[in-house]
Formats: sequence, structure tokens, C-alpha cells
Amino acid sequence: MSRPAVIVAAAVLAFLVFAALFPGVIAPGDPLAIHPLDSFRAPSFAHPFGTDESGRDIFTRIIHGTGASLTIGLSATAIGVGLALILGLLSGLGPRWLDFGTTRFLEVLFAFPGLLLALLFIVIYGPGVVTSTIAVGLATAPGYARIIRSQVRVVRRAPYLEAALVLGRSPAHRLVRHLLPNVVGSLFVLVTLGIGQSIVWASSLSYLGLGAVPPAAEWGAMLSAGRTYLGSFWWMTFFPGLFIVLAAVGTTLLGRGIQQGTRLR
Amino acid sequence: MKRFVAPLIAIASVALLVAGCSTTSTGSSDGKPVAGGTLVYATGDAEPTCLDPHVGGNYPQALVATQYLESLVSKNKAGDIIPWLATKWSESADGLSWDFTLRTGVKFTDGTPFEADAVAANVAHLQDPATASSTGYLALQKVTGVTAVDRHTARITLSSPDSALLDSLSQPWLAIESPTALKRSQAVNCESPVGTGPFVVTKWTHQQSISLVRNEGYTSPPADAAHTGAAYLKAIDWRFLPDSVSRYAALTAGTVDVIDNVQPDTLVAAKKSKDLVALDAPRPGASNRIELNSSIAPFDDARVREAFIRSANVNDAVTSLFFGTATRSYSALSSVEKLGVSEPKLFGYDQKAAATLLDAAGWGTKNADGYRTKNGTVLELDFPVSTNQSIPAEQSLFEQLQATSKQAGFKVNLHPLDLSSWYGALGKNQYNLVSAPYTKVGPDVLRILFDSAGTKPAPSGYFANHSQVKDPALDALLEKAAQTSDQTERASLYKKAQEIVLGGFYILPLYDQQNHFLRRSVVSGLRAMPTVSTPTMYDAWLSR
Amino acid sequence: MALPVAAAPPVRRGPLPWLLLRLGGVVFVLWAVATVTFFAIRLIPGDPAEAVLGGPGSQASAAALAQVRADYGLDLPLPLQYLHYLGRLAAGDLGRSYSLREPVGAVIGQNLGGTLLLALLSLLTAAVIALALAAWSTRGGRWASAVTWVLEVVSAALPHFWLAISLILLFSTTLGWLPPVSVPGPAGLVLPVLTLAIPLAGFLGQVMRESLLDALGSPFVLAARARGESEAGVFWRHALRHAAIPAIGLAGWAFGALISGAVVVETIFARPGIGRSLLSAVQLRDVPLVIGVVLVVALGYMLVTTLTDLADRLIDPRPAPTTAHRGRS
Repeated sequence: MSRPAVIVAAAVLAFLVFAALFPGVIAPGDPLAIHPLDSFRAPSFAHPFGTDESGRDIFTRIIHGTGASLTIGLSATAIGVGLALILGLLSGLGPRWLDFGTTRFLEVLFAFPGLLLALLFIVIYGPGVVTSTIAVGLATAPGYARIIRSQVRVVRRAPYLEAALVLGRSPAHRLVRHLLPNVVGSLFVLVTLGIGQSIVWASSLSYLGLGAVPPAAEWGAMLSAGRTYLGSFWWMTFFPGLFIVLAAVGTTLLGRGIQQGTRLR
Repeated sequence: MKRFVAPLIAIASVALLVAGCSTTSTGSSDGKPVAGGTLVYATGDAEPTCLDPHVGGNYPQALVATQYLESLVSKNKAGDIIPWLATKWSESADGLSWDFTLRTGVKFTDGTPFEADAVAANVAHLQDPATASSTGYLALQKVTGVTAVDRHTARITLSSPDSALLDSLSQPWLAIESPTALKRSQAVNCESPVGTGPFVVTKWTHQQSISLVRNEGYTSPPADAAHTGAAYLKAIDWRFLPDSVSRYAALTAGTVDVIDNVQPDTLVAAKKSKDLVALDAPRPGASNRIELNSSIAPFDDARVREAFIRSANVNDAVTSLFFGTATRSYSALSSVEKLGVSEPKLFGYDQKAAATLLDAAGWGTKNADGYRTKNGTVLELDFPVSTNQSIPAEQSLFEQLQATSKQAGFKVNLHPLDLSSWYGALGKNQYNLVSAPYTKVGPDVLRILFDSAGTKPAPSGYFANHSQVKDPALDALLEKAAQTSDQTERASLYKKAQEIVLGGFYILPLYDQQNHFLRRSVVSGLRAMPTVSTPTMYDAWLSR
Repeated sequence: MALPVAAAPPVRRGPLPWLLLRLGGVVFVLWAVATVTFFAIRLIPGDPAEAVLGGPGSQASAAALAQVRADYGLDLPLPLQYLHYLGRLAAGDLGRSYSLREPVGAVIGQNLGGTLLLALLSLLTAAVIALALAAWSTRGGRWASAVTWVLEVVSAALPHFWLAISLILLFSTTLGWLPPVSVPGPAGLVLPVLTLAIPLAGFLGQVMRESLLDALGSPFVLAARARGESEAGVFWRHALRHAAIPAIGLAGWAFGALISGAVVVETIFARPGIGRSLLSAVQLRDVPLVIGVVLVVALGYMLVTTLTDLADRLIDPRPAPTTAHRGRS
């Protein structure tokens, strides 16, 4: 990974984080303000990304939607990874029966189509950013859990851990000092990939009519709302899509950079 | 009648028939119909769960059943009842029995002759709980029985006079099926219902298509059809294409010949193409409207209802989202209903008036977010939205109303829900606003939507009076109108009833139930039935 | 979509116990999946009896509802309904779909083929694209590497519904090359397959590139080079084989992702298939059909993972460990 690439990625991410924290600085307008008679305007000087079906400024909406979208991406990934970490560690470190139990549990989770898990969850608890986030987290957790589990098994047999065992270190010590750092390190790349993926997942839920609640400006929901107009007004989907890709590219690049950095050490 | 399980669309008036419909392309520019060919129809409505519209009874069933089932009577473009399977009818002096003289020489496509006992068998089928009819069952509530006076005269007896009987009988949900076929199991009858219509169901491939072929022995077109004898088309391929973008793409690519549920922006795009022709056929019955739940706070106060209506900028929303394909409605009824009353002045956009009304109703204080409060309660409105029933443009319209009513201090919470959850929310009375379509022929739809009896849920939890209007005077007017056969008096009763509904601010009318079709110019003779606006392929022909 | 998952350590047991353990695992998972789905669907709002009567919001009479509840055993207490269902399931009877009034087995039979064909073709297409990208990026130099990497990340971030509509607009509406909706014959398959394959290829490509780079720098490749094998020979015979292992390990995950994607793709392209069945069955609370489809998907998933474990045993160039307890899966 070249140095400029990492710098670009860091700059993109810094911009997105800034937009999430202080959207009003970049786009001072109101993301919810409608101007019905200004609807479907193509990108122009007044509206750099055009306007949507209600005449709302798409640039303003995207900037103000950064927070919600990154929250979905980060929290869903965090839920998925957190759940997976518990399951993976239980399975990888626990006694045989616990390993057996969690492994079977994971297999069951895995055998469900992810979209169905998410759909059922949202139908039970009602649509919204929070439920979408949890639903996506649930649907992606089995994937992470599997990686963690196999990683734990490999690390557990590593010489330094056997040495720690021989030295009589407590299980907690072994867990915190030796296992976790190794497992988490290799998870990092997948987690960074997962952030973009979670946003894409949430937008698919919006397509099925069960995503963020209107009029919230969220990238996935905007992408889904614009799809009916794809043939006539391309900008309604292009720009939200661009930002999802930017977030995905930024996090992935950074993840790689960090991974390579740790490898060198 | 009744809600339909899928999105719809479109505008105001009917149009375009047969002759001169100018096909610019190959052959037949003289407009002389050509026989033969298979027409591919792509529907965006939900796939029916049963092809017999007696079972349940929704719009997707009516759409396809129009091709193979026929009713006793129909309607012409002027809105008058005209003969179909019945040639004549007469009401007894007390209004408690009707004699229908049946068309002779008509056979069902399984060979069973169409006679008076067939009418009796169909009414019995609709009223049998095992059939699980909802639409047809409701329409026949006053019918106590059918007797065969002779082979070609059926007498329908009623518990009380029913001025809506002919309107009801004209609907596809009360079409006449072969009594022999009805004796089969419901599972079989759902797959291949048998009628007298111009086409016959030959195969239903679930989730894909229904194959229909021409009924060669067809003899019974309605009085307003353009020709007699068998249909021109040899067959129809009735396909299910739920996604609106791919449906339109299939039409422009020539993969299909006719599509329904055309989205507003697509209609505008299609106008530029010389290969595509639009057909607009708004559905009868109720207009598309937002219902205000008057049974719970804050809409138990008429001033708050009026304030909401005044603060909703519907006109700009319709302009921006429908590109002139939909006309604003100010009526509880569809524009095709002759007895509809329109009151534009009641629904003018006026934020100042809204503010005054809310102040008067005790919602004078505003919180930090700009929402009005009363004794610490925020002026909050829950609005469950069915993502299956409301098209994207309509969902956007609700968002715009959310934004404009916020200026008056209303906090509208939109809840997009799938159909089962949506009905669940209504059943639990957890809504202040809702938009539910209802299709039925004739003004009697008002009785279903606004009679206090309609607030009582059916065993399934369904109820039609979402505004929860409970007004004895209105009930009396609607019941009297339903029994009055004198047309002038009936019109005046329905006018009074509508004035109560509109003046009470129970509903916010939006536009007609949109029902737009697009056909390729190779298709001629396509028209919508003036009954429930379903397209009929009987007069259609292909010039390719 | 979800994340690519590295294969669990391959099993090293004798063939027979391995097979028995697998079989027991399969039965357990199927039971658990059926149980969870059964109770989850009965928990959500909506009356399954209405699915039989024309869908939610039916104005069905009390008599009609009672009739249906009796016909389908919906009037019994829930635990009893569950036991009845389980009993029939054990006998191989999936029950009747409420909304389609057909045996669930028949519904799945009609629709499974279409989805499997779609999934298989998509998987193959994705593998070919990913392989091509990975090969080009490792052999084409810095510039090629950067371009392919961007392609991979972007394509992995495309939602299926957006990609499907864009492909339709490009290849059908604008260019007129391909039919916009499913038609009989291979032409109708191209766009649905591309829609599913492109995001998947983005993932596979990233995984394969990583292991290709590892492999190209590994001792056995150096040894092969030292033996004087051609650069192409080294690439195809050694490095690629090494890179295929994680990709094969992803097959189980890819299967699940493809089924989730099929829900959207089958709806947009109007293709009959179990993805589309699943969506409408959930919306209609058609319990037997939902469970039926989920069971088939679960079975398919386990079949794929078993096959990939087998393939792992065959392809893995590393020597088998001597101890038997290295891993279970």
C-alpha cells in the first residue's frame, strides 16, 4: 500500500467524520426543508448535487446524513463483531461442551439467510435506524464469529501461549495479553470492510420498505428512495451511492494501511 | 370494492377507444381490427392468491378476472347501468325483490349452460362462509336468497331495499361462474375458475404468469363493447412484474405490450415516445385521501383536525411529485362517481388559520423544537404508511405534508410498515392519520367508510371507517340513501352525507385512486371497464 | 452480503465418523432452524389465517376464520401446533402453503431450480471475474494493482437493487442488447447473473489477491522458480492453487449471500425462485412456506460447506496433521 493512498484515505475519513460531527459547518442549510416547486433539479451552482423529489438539497442531505449512515455502519459492525467476539472466544477458549454448544449455535445462525434474520427482526420491532442497525449487526455476526473462532484456535496453539500456560498465567491474563491482540489484529481488515457493507445492507432493507424512517437523511434510504427515478434523474442515486463508496474505500484503505503497519513491526 | 394490495397510480379521466387510435407502425393503419396474436400484459399489482374473485376479493383479482369472468350487468362511460349477462331487470314495488331476465344461448367454458340456477349457485357460493368472500359477501348483505322463476329469470330477494344492488352486481367480485366448476374443491377452483368470458385460464405458473386463450364460442359481450363474437387476440400472457423500473423497461424494449401501475415520472417520459400510448382510468368509489382518526386525541377535537388540514400543502406536493398526471381532489368520492360532492374551499392551505385554530383548541404553547404542546403533551400524530399500498410518490407526498404541518407545530411520525403490520397498527387503534384506498362501484362506498357500524372491527380485526366517524345523523342519511331508488332524492341524501364528512374535517382528499396504463402502439382497442376501471382485452387487437 | 469468512480449519478425521458427525449436525441445525422460524413468525403481528383468506386486512367473516383455523390447526395452543408441525416435518411433510394453497414441497420444487441455476452461474461468473482481476493485479504492476483494487472495492459496495436497475437501463433501455426482465433462454439470465456476480467478485477478488501475494512470496514458489519453472507455470500451478483455498472456504458464505441477494434480484427481474417466495411468504405470514424455504436454504448451505471441507481435504497442499483433534467444524 502506497503512502499517498493511505493519506488520501485518511483525508476522506477525516472529512466524513468532520461532516458527521459538524454538518452545519459544511452545509448550513436544513436537510429537511422542502421546496416542492424546486423538485428534481439537476446539479447546478445553487444545488451542487441537485434536488430530490421534494426539492430538498441533496448535498445538504448527504452531509447531514453522514452521522446516521456512519452510525449504522459503525454500530452494526460493532454489534456484529462484539457478538462474534463473545461467541468466538467462548467457542475457542471454553471447555469442550461450551465449544460444542456455541459451534452448533453458530451453525444455526449461519444457516439462516442473513436477509431473513434482518427482515424478521425489523418486522417484530418496527423499522427505524436503531432496529436496522441491530438487524444488520445480527445478520453479519455469524460471519465474524466464524473468523474469530478459527483464529482463536490457531492462536491458542501458538508457542507463546503454550509458554504462558506453562508459566502458570491465569486465563484472564492469557486472554487479555496474548489472545485478544492477535485475534483483533486480523479482524481489523474485515471490520473496516464491514462498515461500508453495513450501510449497503441497510439500504437493501430500505429497498424492501423497511429501512430508516422518513424524512431522515440517511445514505442508504436516499439511495433506495431515488431508485424509482433512476431512469429520469440520475443524481438522486449517484451522489448517495458515491458517498457510500467513499466511506467503504476510505475505511478499507485505512484498514490495510494499519494492517501493513502492524505487520512491519 | 376495497383496498388493493399494491401500488397504483395516475390521473383523471378515461379515454381512448378503438377506432382511429392511430397506430403509426406497420399495417392496419385503416384501423380495421386484425385477429390473432398473443398480447403480453405485465402487472405491477400483487399476484392474487386465488383467481376466483369470490374468494377474498381484491383489485389484483379483479384485474385478471375481467378477462375470463362476466357479471350480470355493466356500466357505460356515462355511468349508467347497461345489460351484460342479464338483458333486463325490474324492481318490485316494495323494493324487496328484483327479477333479472338472463341472456339466452350463453354457455360457460366448461359447457354448462348459463341459467337462473347458476345465479343462485353463485350467490350461495359468495354467502358460504367456507368461500371466505369478503368483498362480494359485504355487497350481498341484504340478499336473502335467489330463486329461479324460470330457466332464464332469476329473482333476488332482499331483507330491505338496496339502491346499490345493480352497482354491486356490476363488479368483478360478484361475477358469475360455472355452477359445475364451483362444486370442485376451492384449491382447484382458485387455479382455474370457469366463466363465460372472452378468454379462458389455461395455466397459472405461480410468481410468473397466467396463460389465457381465446374462448372460441364466446357470445356475451357487454352492451358497450365494440364488436361481437370471439375476441381478436388468440391468447394473453399475463405476467407479474413487481418492480416499476423493470416493468417500464420491458415495455420500451417490446418484451411486453401493456403495463399497469405506471409511475408519474414514467408517464412523462412515455409521452415523448411515439411507440407508447397512455390510458388513464381512475378507480371508482373513494378518492385517495388521508383519514383523520377522530376517536382519539388530538383529533377528537374538530378544530385540531381542521388545523391539520389547513397546514397541509397538498397542492404543491401533487404538482411536484405527479408532474400533472394527477388532479387534486376535494371530494370523498372518485371523480368518476356522478354523485360526488367537491368542496375546494374547505381544504385551502392556510398556515395562519391553522395557528389560530390550534391556539383556540388549547395547543397554544410551543416547545424548543417548534412543536405545539398542551399540558406537557406534544402535538404528535402517528401515521402508519403501507409500503405495499402507497406508491413512492405518495410516500414522498406524506413526507412533504409532514414538513408543512411541522410549520404549524404538528409532529407527524411516519411509520413505513409491511401490509400485515400496517393492518395490525390499525386494528390496535394506534394511528392518528392513515391513507387506505377503497374501490367500489357507486356512492354506497360512503356507507362502508363513514357509517358508525364501520368502526366495529370484523373478526379479522379489519374495519373500514378509519376516520371513526360516529354520527347518528350521518348513519340515518346513508341508510336512507341506500334504500331510496328515487334518483333525485338519493342524490340529495348523498350530498348531505358528504357535506357532513367534508365539513367535519374527517378526511383530507388528495386525488383519485391513480390507475394508469401504458400500451405499445401496436395494441389497439384496449379500454378500461367503466365499472371498476380494469382493462378488458376483448376488443383489443395487435397490428404486428 | 456480509463478510467473507475464512474457512474453519479442515477436519482431519476418518471418513466414516466424520460423515456421521456431519449428518447429526445437519439434523440438529435443521431442527433448530425450523423451531426458531416457527416461533419468530408467530410472534410478529399478523394473522396467518388471513393469508389463506386473501391476505392481510381481509374482511373475512368469523365463520370463515374459524373454518380456516380448524382446517389448518391454527385453533390449537401454540406448543401443540409446534409439535404437530414437527411431527409432520419428521415424516418429511412440509405442510401446505397458506397463501398458495399448494404443498410447500411442490412450491419449492417449482422454484428451487431457478434460484440454484442463478446462484451457481453467479458464483462461477464471480469466481472468473475475481480470478481475472487478481491475476491482472499481481502480474500487471503497480498501476494495474491500483485499478483493480478500486474496481473491487467499488463493486463490493454496490447494492443489488441499484446495480440491477442500472444494468437494465444500460443494456436494455439504452443499448437494447438484452431483455430487461427474465425471458426463457440464456439471454434472460445475463443481467440477473451479473447483478449477483459483480459485488461478489469484488469480495472474492480482494481475498484472492491477498493470498496470491502471500503465495507468490512463499518458499515453495521461490523453490519452483529456482527449479527453473516458467513464470506462468509458477503462477498457474502453484500460486493459484494456494489462492483458491480461502476462496473455496468462502463458498458457504457466498451461498448465503447469493440467496439474500436473490430476494432482490428475483423481484426486480421477475424471475420465479425461492428468494421471491421467501419475501412474499414473510409478508403474508405464510408460516409453512417460510420454514420450508429456510430449511432448504439451510440444507443447501450445509451441503456447500461440507463439499468445501471435502475440497479442502483434496486441494490443501499442506501435510495432514498427525493429531486428530486439531479442529472440528
